[in-house]
Amino acid sequence: MKRLTTRFLMACAAIGAATGVLLLPANFVAAAISAAVPLVYAAMVGIWLIGPVVALAVLRRPGAALLTMLIAGIINIPTPAGPSAIITNLMVGVAMELGFLLTLYRIWKPWLFYVTALVFETFYAISAYTFFNIDDMTPAVQGVFFVLMGVSAIVFTWLGLVIAGRLEATGVARGITPGRRPVAPPAL
Amino acid sequence: MSLFSLRSYNPVVKVLAPVPAMVVSIGSRDLLTPAIFAAVALVMLLAFGRLSGRPLLGVLLGPIALVAVMTVSFGVWTDPAKVDDTSALFTLGPFTLWSGALETGLATGLRVTSVMLLALLAGLTTDGPDLVRSMITHLRMPYRIGYAGFAAIRFVPRFRSDLEVIRLAHRVRGVDGGRGVVPAGRRWAGYAVPLLAGAIRHGDRVSLAMEARGFGAHRTRTERRQVPLRARDAVLAAWLISLCYLVPYLSGVIR
Repeated sequence: MKRLTTRFLMACAAIGAATGVLLLPANFVAAAISAAVPLVYAAMVGIWLIGPVVALAVLRRPGAALLTMLIAGIINIPTPAGPSAIITNLMVGVAMELGFLLTLYRIWKPWLFYVTALVFETFYAISAYTFFNIDDMTPAVQGVFFVLMGVSAIVFTWLGLVIAGRLEATGVARGITPGRRPVAPPAL
Repeated sequence: MSLFSLRSYNPVVKVLAPVPAMVVSIGSRDLLTPAIFAAVALVMLLAFGRLSGRPLLGVLLGPIALVAVMTVSFGVWTDPAKVDDTSALFTLGPFTLWSGALETGLATGLRVTSVMLLALLAGLTTDGPDLVRSMITHLRMPYRIGYAGFAAIRFVPRFRSDLEVIRLAHRVRGVDGGRGVVPAGRRWAGYAVPLLAGAIRHGDRVSLAMEARGFGAHRTRTERRQVPLRARDAVLAAWLISLCYLVPYLSGVIR
C-alpha cells in the first residue's frame, strides 16, 4: 500500500478513465458485431489491450494494468456488458500483469508486451470457444478466428506501445517511475 | 427504499451473485437452460428494475433482436458436416441452410442474451459511485484505490471539454490531413496523446490537492453516505445461486 503513491493512483485513474471512454462504444459495437459477424469480433478484441499496455509501458510499476482496468470497468457500468465489464477488464488487467510478474517487474522490453498479449489472447480464444459455439463452425472459420485474434492482439499492443512512447516523450510520467530518464521521441 | 426495487439492493451483491448463473448458462448446450435464465432475468428486470424510457425499450427489444440476428448469423457459420442429417431449409448456390445449424445459432444467441440480461440486473439498477462505496466497505478494497475510482468518474466529463479544446487547437494550426477514413483515423490517433498527457497532468494536480488535505494519512476513512448490506441482499444472492441448480433441473424435467 505504501508503494501506491497518490500520484500513481491518479495517473492510473486518468489512463483508466480514458480507457473506459474508449471501451464504452467498444462494448456496444462488440455486442452488436459479435452477434452478426463473430469473425469481426475476433479482430477487435485487441482494443481491450490498449489500456493496460499504455499503463504498464508509461508507469512501469506493479499493479498499473490491474488498477487501470479496474477503473475502466467502473466507467463501463452503463453498457450492455454492465458491471461484468469490471470482471472482464480485471481479467485482462491480471493477464497483462502476469507476464511482468513472472519476470519480477524487471523487464519492460516490447517483446514481453507482445508475448504476454499473445498468450492471453490464446487463452481467451479457447474460453470464447464454448461461449460462441465455435467448435461447431467449419475448421477454416475456426482457423481464421484464431489468426484474427492473434493479429488483433499484436496490432493493438503495437498501438498501445506507440501511444506510450509518445506520452513518455511529453514528460508527464516523469517521477512516477523511479530511476528513469526521459527518452527521445520515437519516430513514426 | 422499497423491497421490490432492485435499486435498493447492495451493488456488490448484484454484481457478484449472478456470476455462477452466468457460468452455468455459458456451459449449457441445450436451448431450454439459457432460455429459462434469460426469461428469469428479464422478468426480474421488468418487475423490480423500475425501468423507464430508453433502458426499458432496450430491455424489451434488445434480447429479441439479438437472438434473431445471432440465430441467423451463427447458423450460417456452423459447420454443415455436423448438421447435414437435419432437414435442409433452402439452398442458395453452393450454400445450404440446415435446420440443425439454425438450432445451434439459436442456442448461441440465447446463451449470449441470458448472460447479458443477468449482467444488466446490476448494470441498469446501480450507479458507479455506490458500487465503489460498497466495494470499499464490503469487499475491503483499500479506500485509496476506491477514491481513484471516484476521481476517474469525475475525469470523464473533463475529457469531453479537453477533447474539444484539442480539436480546435489542431484545426487552428491546420493539422488536418484531408478527408476519408485513413486521415480521420490519424486525426483521432493525434488526439489520444495530448488527451492522455493532459489527463495525467490533471491527475498530478488532483493528487497534490488531495495529499495537501491529508488524504491517505489514516488507515480507514469514514463515509458520509453508507451503502447498507441487509437481509434482502442475502435473499437475492440465495435466489440467484439456487438458480444454478433449479434451472438445469427444470429444463431436464420439461424436456
